[in-house]
Amino acid sequence: MKKRKLDEVKTTVSDMLELPKEITLNLPKITMIGSIQMLVENHKGIIEYTPQRIRLNSAIGVIRVQGINMNLRNIAADDILVTGQIKIVEFL
Amino acid sequence: MLFFKLWNYLLGYLVIRVEGLSLERFINLTVSKGIYMWDIDRHSYTALTACINISGFKNLKKIVRTSRCRVRILEKRGLPFILVRFKKRRMLVVGLSVFLIIIYGLSSFIWSIEIEGAVRISEEKLLQNLAKHGIRHGAYKRNLDTSSIANKVVIDMPELWWVSIQLKGTKALVRVVETQNPPPMIDRSIPCNIVAAKDGIIHEMLVLEGEPVVKVGDTVRKGQLLVSGVIEDQETYDVRYVHAMAEINARTWYEGTGTWGFDKPVTKRTGRKAVQKFLDLGKWVIEYHVDEIPFKKYEVSEKRVPFIDQRGLIPITMIVREYYEVEEIQSDTKLQRVKEKASDIAYQNARKIIPDHVKVVDKRVKYDIIEGKEVKATVYMEAIEDIAQKQKIIYN
Repeated sequence: MKKRKLDEVKTTVSDMLELPKEITLNLPKITMIGSIQMLVENHKGIIEYTPQRIRLNSAIGVIRVQGINMNLRNIAADDILVTGQIKIVEFL
Repeated sequence: MLFFKLWNYLLGYLVIRVEGLSLERFINLTVSKGIYMWDIDRHSYTALTACINISGFKNLKKIVRTSRCRVRILEKRGLPFILVRFKKRRMLVVGLSVFLIIIYGLSSFIWSIEIEGAVRISEEKLLQNLAKHGIRHGAYKRNLDTSSIANKVVIDMPELWWVSIQLKGTKALVRVVETQNPPPMIDRSIPCNIVAAKDGIIHEMLVLEGEPVVKVGDTVRKGQLLVSGVIEDQETYDVRYVHAMAEINARTWYEGTGTWGFDKPVTKRTGRKAVQKFLDLGKWVIEYHVDEIPFKKYEVSEKRVPFIDQRGLIPITMIVREYYEVEEIQSDTKLQRVKEKASDIAYQNARKIIPDHVKVVDKRVKYDIIEGKEVKATVYMEAIEDIAQKQKIIYN
């Protein structure tokens, strides 16, 4: 109850001050270029990686990406770059 | 991204294959340790390949143990690994640096001197003078002050007005301007007449001084008086001597003859040719490019071209022989060709006797067949030239 209140305050403050929400609310930021590339910033680790399916952990739960011939092009402490043919992005 | 690739190439990286059951765990552990990996590609459930930099690979040991994977190096890429290979072949590096030093060393000398603009003065003399001040074959060019050398050369050689020396690579380009002699002074106190230098019909006259004796259209013989330097007053009969000056343009004729026999072969080039090239090294002659000669009858022309060096510093010349295929002319067109041959020779002969500055305005050819054996061509060339010639007046 208290956390939800805090989040609401954070949202209004970052709206007012135009602060990036992925930082103030600790959310993953997903940037996609068409369906061939996907950059996920602020993730919390990989749960599963196969060329057909990738599952990533994040602050709001698991992000499941399904596609064909997917690679992890770039992987660093808090961002991950997926390339390949991306079909489905789901938040579980 | 390009910068990133270049950076990785400079530092060197490895392509590794990781095998194990919990590969996601392996990836998460490396990421959390701050080890950077890229181009991760999963081949099967138990294997993946990835790129990792060298320092990252060294820190991988602990992760491998905790995630129970096996890591194998597939490839080593980047500059450090190439340098390691050089380390084993030290002489290659030595040779490479020696080569660079030699190239640099040789390029700091003057190897050829090119002279532009020397017409009347001998190049030998100019080269000697240049050598005296430091521009010579094999001179070290780094500390040459070309502009002061140019000044010294101009001072030393009064027959030069201007010298510029440019060093272009290993070539010294020397450009000179020669002094020009002023036109000879005409001593107008000496009285003279103008006479014809050769036979001709006067075309136009420009008399500057003196009394013209002939007019336009007159036929004059060699030595005939054209403009008189003796002027007599109409009324007082007073005689005055002047230095006659005039430009007398006259039509003159030149002729040349040439003969060509019917029995001599008359041939025509067919347009096909073969080329043979040889290198003449003085003692030896090396074939350089030799075509087979597939012709029955041919004409040969030989040229010698200096090889590589125009100044003849390297004693190698290239001999170029060109073989032109020819065919004999059939009898029906033979007369025509014999005439052409004869007139060609006649033209060449006429050209020899015409001075260079004379303008040819008309030409005519006459053919005579002598005893049915040969054709004699006579070429008459009409020219316009200045026939004025000064002649001193001798008087008491």
